[in-house]
Amino acid sequence: MFGRLVVAALVALGLASGASAQEELKIGGIGSLSGGGTAWGLALQRGIELAIDDVNKAGGLKIGGKVYRPRLVMVDDQYSATGGRTAAQRLISVENVKFIIGPIGSPSVLAVVPIMNQAKVLLLSDGFAVSILKNEFNSAYNYRVMNSNVEFGPAMIKWLHQKRPDLKKVALIAPNDAVGQAVVPTLVTAYKANGFEVWTEFYERGTKEFTPLLTRMLAQNIDLFDLNSNAPGEAGLLLKQAREVGYKNMIWQVGGPSVDEIIAIGGPLAEGFISYDVFDFNDPHAKAFVSAYHARWSGIINAQAPGWYNGAKILFKAMETAGTLDVEKVREALKTIEGYDPGIFGPVAWGGKSDYDVEHQLLANFWITEVKNGKANALTVITPEKH
Amino acid sequence: MFTSAILAQVILNGVCLSAIYVLVALGFTLLFGIMKIVNFAHGAFAMLGGYALYYLYAEFRLPYPAAILLASVGVAACALVLEPLVFRWFYQKMFQSMIGLLGLNMAIVFTGVIVFDVYERSIPPVFSGVVRLGPLIAPTDRLLIVGIAAAVLAAFWAFMTRTRYGLAMRAAAQDVETAETQGIDTRVIYLLALFISIFMAALAGGIYAQTYALSPFMGDRPLMVAFIVVILGGMGSIPGAALGGILFGFAESFLSTFYGSAVSSFVSFGVVIALLIVRPWGLLGTPE
Amino acid sequence: MTASIMRKMDIPVPKVALSSATGEGRGGWRLSALLVLAVFLVGWPLLLPNPFFLTVGTLIALNAIGAASLHLIIRTGHISLAHAAFVGVGAYACVLSVMTLGLPYWVGLLMGAGASGSLALIIGPIVLRLTGKYFVLVTFLLGEIIRMVFVEWVPVTGGSNGIFGIPTAHPIVSTPHGQYYFVLAIAALCIGLCACILSSQIGRAMDAMREAEQVAECAGVPVIRLKVTIFVLACGLAGVQGGLLAHFLRYIDPTAFGWVESLNLVVMNVIGGMFHLAGPLIGTVFLVAFPEFLRGYVELQRVIFGISIIVVMAALPGGMVEIGARTRDIIAGARGRKR
Repeated sequence: MFGRLVVAALVALGLASGASAQEELKIGGIGSLSGGGTAWGLALQRGIELAIDDVNKAGGLKIGGKVYRPRLVMVDDQYSATGGRTAAQRLISVENVKFIIGPIGSPSVLAVVPIMNQAKVLLLSDGFAVSILKNEFNSAYNYRVMNSNVEFGPAMIKWLHQKRPDLKKVALIAPNDAVGQAVVPTLVTAYKANGFEVWTEFYERGTKEFTPLLTRMLAQNIDLFDLNSNAPGEAGLLLKQAREVGYKNMIWQVGGPSVDEIIAIGGPLAEGFISYDVFDFNDPHAKAFVSAYHARWSGIINAQAPGWYNGAKILFKAMETAGTLDVEKVREALKTIEGYDPGIFGPVAWGGKSDYDVEHQLLANFWITEVKNGKANALTVITPEKH
Repeated sequence: MFTSAILAQVILNGVCLSAIYVLVALGFTLLFGIMKIVNFAHGAFAMLGGYALYYLYAEFRLPYPAAILLASVGVAACALVLEPLVFRWFYQKMFQSMIGLLGLNMAIVFTGVIVFDVYERSIPPVFSGVVRLGPLIAPTDRLLIVGIAAAVLAAFWAFMTRTRYGLAMRAAAQDVETAETQGIDTRVIYLLALFISIFMAALAGGIYAQTYALSPFMGDRPLMVAFIVVILGGMGSIPGAALGGILFGFAESFLSTFYGSAVSSFVSFGVVIALLIVRPWGLLGTPE
Repeated sequence: MTASIMRKMDIPVPKVALSSATGEGRGGWRLSALLVLAVFLVGWPLLLPNPFFLTVGTLIALNAIGAASLHLIIRTGHISLAHAAFVGVGAYACVLSVMTLGLPYWVGLLMGAGASGSLALIIGPIVLRLTGKYFVLVTFLLGEIIRMVFVEWVPVTGGSNGIFGIPTAHPIVSTPHGQYYFVLAIAALCIGLCACILSSQIGRAMDAMREAEQVAECAGVPVIRLKVTIFVLACGLAGVQGGLLAHFLRYIDPTAFGWVESLNLVVMNVIGGMFHLAGPLIGTVFLVAFPEFLRGYVELQRVIFGISIIVVMAALPGGMVEIGARTRDIIAGARGRKR
């Protein structure tokens, strides 16, 4: 007890005699913390917290002569448009933040983008919809820091076509929710551009029994089954039920990633499954992230967490480079820090001009993994093209 | 597309689908028939059954038959605990029960989220591997499920038709007041009906969780299906629930395989709406 | 009893009677309460001009339209689980009129109301013949079908990704203050309309119909015609909410119009009170504001909601509005006096 008092006193003294006063810098975070999307909301929260840990270990954010301690203010958007809108409003008008990371789901992001641009608050988001970047505001104040299907889809399909030119007919089964309906057309175009014949089928979100649809698929003589935008649980069930119904050809996923769930649900049936992946756990850079994560939390690391860590680190670097917290200057700095490498996803590069009319899409590295003997192995790493 | 191998597969799929639907629907209709309550919390109890099975079978490694029976009995016992607190207020009050039990559903599901966390889990299958019957392929696990469902349904039917309590329950389902005047203790009948109904829901939930996935929200879909199946068959009618479940399962299998998922949903809903308008008491229900 | 009958029987007719459900003779009290409420609703944004609170306030006003219009349907004795779907129909119709056909906003809003109302007119006569529980089930399925149309009809509705980039109603009302007052004004009109209907001859006929349908029919109430009229009107008002919501959020997608949202509107009525117009208004504030100000424990909130629904349905069948009456009863009983 006495020992603790001594330590506390020393710490207090240490803080008081710190080189300069540490001011708090509020960073807003929006993600779903209730309902079905909680895993992703937590990934966002934890990814940012880890980036903040890095900053604190280095003594704080040094911006224009002052030292700042970032603090995350996380608000739940309940994965809906209204939720995102009120969350953003709360952060801007009540918490007075100028920088927001998130949200994740397209409906939420789409509701938030107009507010950001009107209030001139910087947003680093996720979300699949093209309108997130291609809109009437020219995304003046919003950037996307996670790859969408438009970035990784065509690249992956091109890779597969070169590796397996024998595959001719692909089946896409997707949920008819926002992600599925946004993703499938992009994939269809990319497959057709590579000479594939495409068969698509949508199902109602909440379905778990796919054997009728898979029986229907079997009758089409498919040689490639793409799990695309299916949620991890459904992807696992689709793979398992497809194999059980007698489908023998290749299965892969241009989307997800759901590799862990597929191995858990499919068991030995998952052998040979290939997937898009956002993270290679065996990469030396990744190990640092993994141990930092496990020092604070237990359980499986959601694949999105490192992406948000990356986004937060980019934001902090832009702030330090700008030397000020003025939103306009930080925005410009985001552009100038191209080439800065936070360590996992390669150097910062912004692209997407031909897809969105603005270059506000972060071109992050991604991996292609294969399941062999119950474990995921990285096959190759790809950087999306700047076009 | 319309080959005999595919048709046979469609029929097999239909049987598997129907098995789970009938189990859930039976409990639902029993509660309505006897106590006139619309149990909107039925899915929540199925979910609890799933988690109970998960803990007993996957965590504590009890042998499967013991695990599934114990899980279902355990959840049914929980329902009995809730009876004086919740269910008793709504007997014979159909409308209040709808909304009140919806509240119960909300409370149970979100307590589940707090206790179990949202992420989906899987329950390891009892058998891996498939059984081949000529051109047909069926996962062994699925056949086991159909077997369990058939056994439970047979037991249920035997209870209702061969025992005195079963007879008493059928009498109460027809007319509660008259049954009381005949000396039937409705308190006991209500408790028994609640127990059996939730037992079947929990069992169906365990099977559902094992076949698909386990999460606090998994009960939503079985609830919706139970609802529709029971309307189809006639609310309060036990043979109706069975017939409705079989029809719905086969229709879904057939339509989804040959015409896709959207057509299947639209047609199923459309038919049920049409039925409600023309014959609201369902196929085997009694007009009021 | 109607005023004319009362006069014929030489019973004094109260001078002001603004609502039928809680009796005559308290008109003066009612009016002053309404004035206080009006002053509050108009005044608070001037004292607390925070855009976040204004957003919540606007959302409450929007939902109040839906809850109050559903209240009309409930007073005829039917619970509709498709109300949010009708909000959606109005939203999409308004947005498509404005963005695709280039019509001015007011016309769009009317088109929205018209679309919902027309759909109600087509469906109403068929489904309103069904009794209580069957009507609930049919509207549940109908709501699902409408939602599936929103999801599947991609070229028109944008499918699950909805429609983005909806313009605000008018440059004047694009500030948080402007939007709040705009929505408040229209909501007040809609709710006022509901109040007028409920306190009129029609309102009494509705209550009679709900309590004893066959008797009402014998007394000359055109039951089906009245039910359909109210249903069409209520769904039209829901369409107004849809049009306003679309231009407020500037983005609509099918998930905002599903059975869960319809259920929320029903819950607002149930918890607040099903037999008095104040009920859904109380319920709306409760259900929309509560989660906003109690963030961080969303699951616990939902558990509490669930339990309060059970308690209300079991013990207070008339909803929270009854608390006032019940408390008065208890106090009066304790004082040993009759009212």
